[in-house]
Amino acid sequence: MTLTWTDWQAIAVPLVLAIGAVAVLLVDSFWRSASAELRHTVVTLLTSAVILFGLVFVWAQRGGFKPAFCRPAVEGPAECSFVFEPLTAGLWAVLLVGGLGVVGLSTYRLLASDVPIGEYHFLLLSALTGATVLAGARDLATLVIALEVVSLPSFAMVGLRRDRRGSEGAMKAFLVSVLSTAVMLFGVSYLYGVTGSLYLATIANRLNGLDPDLGRVAFAAGLFVIVGFAFKIAAVPFHAWLPDTYVGAPIEVTTFLAVVSKSAGVAGLLVLVTAGIAPDGSHLRTVIAILAALTMTVGNLAALRQVEAVRLLAWSSIGQVGFLLAPLAVGDAQAVVGYLAAYVVVTLGAFGAVAVVQRHRPGGLLTDYRGMVRSEPGLAAALIFFLVVLAGLPPGLAGLFTKFAAFQAVIDAHLGWLAIVMALNVMIGLAVYLRWVAELFRLPADDPFSVDIETPAVAMLSLFAALTAVVSVLPSVLFALAT
Amino acid sequence: MSESLLIALIAVPTLTAVVLWALPVVTADRVAALVGTVVSGVLLVASLVLWWDMRRPHCPCTVEAVYGPLPRTLPGKLTPDVDINVPWIPSLGVRFHLAVDTISLPLITLTALLVLLCCVYSLKITPRIGRTRSLIALLLVIETGVIGAFAAADLVLFFVFFEIVLIPMWLVIDIWGDDHDRAGRRRAATTFILMTVFGSALMLLGFLLVHRHAGTFDLVFLGQHPIKGGHGVPLAAAILIAVGLAVKMPLWPLHIWLPDAHAKAPTVGSVLLAGVLLKLGSYGMIRILLPVLPDATATIAPYLAGFSVVAIVAGSLACLAQTDVKRLIAYSSVGHMGFIGLGIATMSPEGLNGALYANLAHGIITGLLFFLAGAIKDRHDTSDLRAIGRALYARLPRISGLLTYACLASLGLPGLAGFWGEMLVLLGAYHPADWLPRATFIVLMVIAGLGAVLTAAYFLRLIRELCQGDPAENPPAAFAVDLSRIEFVTFVPLVVLTVFLGLWPFTLLNQWTFL
Repeated sequence: MTLTWTDWQAIAVPLVLAIGAVAVLLVDSFWRSASAELRHTVVTLLTSAVILFGLVFVWAQRGGFKPAFCRPAVEGPAECSFVFEPLTAGLWAVLLVGGLGVVGLSTYRLLASDVPIGEYHFLLLSALTGATVLAGARDLATLVIALEVVSLPSFAMVGLRRDRRGSEGAMKAFLVSVLSTAVMLFGVSYLYGVTGSLYLATIANRLNGLDPDLGRVAFAAGLFVIVGFAFKIAAVPFHAWLPDTYVGAPIEVTTFLAVVSKSAGVAGLLVLVTAGIAPDGSHLRTVIAILAALTMTVGNLAALRQVEAVRLLAWSSIGQVGFLLAPLAVGDAQAVVGYLAAYVVVTLGAFGAVAVVQRHRPGGLLTDYRGMVRSEPGLAAALIFFLVVLAGLPPGLAGLFTKFAAFQAVIDAHLGWLAIVMALNVMIGLAVYLRWVAELFRLPADDPFSVDIETPAVAMLSLFAALTAVVSVLPSVLFALAT
Repeated sequence: MSESLLIALIAVPTLTAVVLWALPVVTADRVAALVGTVVSGVLLVASLVLWWDMRRPHCPCTVEAVYGPLPRTLPGKLTPDVDINVPWIPSLGVRFHLAVDTISLPLITLTALLVLLCCVYSLKITPRIGRTRSLIALLLVIETGVIGAFAAADLVLFFVFFEIVLIPMWLVIDIWGDDHDRAGRRRAATTFILMTVFGSALMLLGFLLVHRHAGTFDLVFLGQHPIKGGHGVPLAAAILIAVGLAVKMPLWPLHIWLPDAHAKAPTVGSVLLAGVLLKLGSYGMIRILLPVLPDATATIAPYLAGFSVVAIVAGSLACLAQTDVKRLIAYSSVGHMGFIGLGIATMSPEGLNGALYANLAHGIITGLLFFLAGAIKDRHDTSDLRAIGRALYARLPRISGLLTYACLASLGLPGLAGFWGEMLVLLGAYHPADWLPRATFIVLMVIAGLGAVLTAAYFLRLIRELCQGDPAENPPAAFAVDLSRIEFVTFVPLVVLTVFLGLWPFTLLNQWTFL
């Protein structure tokens, strides 16, 4: 197979990210003479430049359609392993913004000093490489490999600090990941056996004409693949690893897991469902709908009882994934990408704010936030805004309209029961975030949180808040991402 | 000009709130009430100008204003006077569409008036915990939400404004609520917001079903091309929307959040909650349910009427058993909103006009009642009837006189505002729309009439328990101030309006194309 110019263009972003990853590692290893601050700054700038290249590329090519690594098929159009299309552009934009946000939140003095920064940025860029490939992958082999490229760096990052909690979290994530890959490969092999192809488009074609007995096998195989993904995105009942991993990791890594890893998993599942194994009317979509209902309900209910900020965000992120799965179950890519975009920006902001507090109050309890509207009004206002967006109430219109789009997708697909479950979860989710908001407003506080917040943190949080405000006023930006 | 006035009515309160929050705490706490008073006073004037502008004859004069009797149509359909319509989120079919007409403008004016009075009241009297800046700012944000919801001509926009109100109101109850009962006020605030959010989520599902069926969220279009059919998807949409609005209104048995929320809220919170927030529910039914889904509404109307009548009776009976003056007034709201629900369910011009009229009258009278209850509570540090004791006529003659007046207005004494709404609703129930079962409605009318008697019973009981009695057995407490000046200023507009609405009902009713 020869690489054409289109192929190169289509994979330019993952390629540059991968090269950047290696470069970052080399700079950090071979430039020991420089001070930690200088090295950290250079590495950060390098990483940001690489990611910014990706964003510029996405912006320049946003309307483009570039099938890559194609080969002529026996029947029908050519089979391609990798496609850059508007959906890919939207997913990349989300993933890269997420990555850039994490980099911005891990500048010098923000990232704990015992985290080796070369490795950190190397792993981050590697995972981003995998994530971008995942969003463009159109055959099962590429999909599985890309997913592994996202996962492996992720749990290495969880264990970067090499303490007990980090190791435990990393171990859990690793075991679950291996298990899920095994399950997924099992499904993939059956799918190949049934349809004789790894290309998603071809699988989708052949699934239609399958005889009923093989159809049942294909259903089981698809189920295995979906379960594999469900482990990665921590959909209930495959979610048990997530809270401990989130708490064990350094908070910047937790942000990364919540933003990039999760978005990558959702992106992969979206590609899989819309382009391949679960065409309209497939029973697999019902399975995903059930997963969605379970995930949001369990996630939100568990979040109701948390007393630690990070654990609350961990469980509520499970709830948010449930909301993401709902439009995914009906194959509405626009609603999924819009929701994902809002979720990414706001989660970055919420974790950024938590990181600020946690650096000074390692306990990380919700009560640490008491009275912050008075003692630290800017940070409190930003955090309240992010939480309200997560809950989906005004003034957080970005959250409201992305939830609205999810509702619309589900209603238009005649899934009334799922819509009712979602309505219930809007209520439970609100209760989750209100507990936190209430703490922020409570006065008088015995020992209110008040510090000099680091300048980069202030800058990043303001940026996230401004971005959220913009997409709140103009939510159509969110939904234009994937069209 | 009208367009910019309408935009200003919605934007200015929130901008003022932002400015207040941007000021330093100490300064802002001092000037907040004053700023709020000035701004909401200007907004009241603006809404009156808007109203006057709409009512004055526009020539070439419209035909119906000159010739013959008006058609007997149901009010509710949006006939926009001021119209602002720009696309907002094309991919979801959402437009930023504001419009006001003769139904929404009186409610907007009522909102502006009550917010103004709350700010005036806060000039001197604020909850003990302080934080006046945030209190006033939140009241202004609530004003934005309520006026926006009354002016929205797009279902999604209505939903958004409907939701804007929630978090500020939750904070008002949670922070400034009853300072004797911390856990209680938190529970009340949370119950309020969670039930309302669930209701509005269901309402949203109904809107989405409407959209799936009709392809638009636009109220003007939907009013002109209503969705036919009284079963299937339209029926599901109507039920969802009705349940969502019934939580807000609230109709029995979805009223359980209301007594606690009203009882625990600070005075200004109770006034706004009862005075304008509940109206969002009834307004939504008149504006959305009836014009957009007429056939499906006809299917559920008897049930709606049934629940409303149960609300009237149950609310009144609950009132008879209350020992807390704020809870009693809260339950009386359940009864009055039941009348409004019954009026809407009759689907007749009389019933709907009665509902619209009762909406306004209830806003004014209950606002006054909650102000008075707040005044009594401030003086005794409790709202428990047994702890306050009897013989208020001797101790606080002016306040108890006003309380008696407000109670009489609320129980529907002819000549005061409360009478016309209930009278028209009962008339409407006697002549419901042709497609509704008349016998059922007549039975319901009789029960509602009995409910009105019960209303008289509990208000008279309240007056006897609280105001009358032997002064010797209930010695005056240390406080000596009867009606303070600021209270006088706050209460007078409501008192005057109650008389005005009672004596000249046709000034308003004529606008709603009636008779």
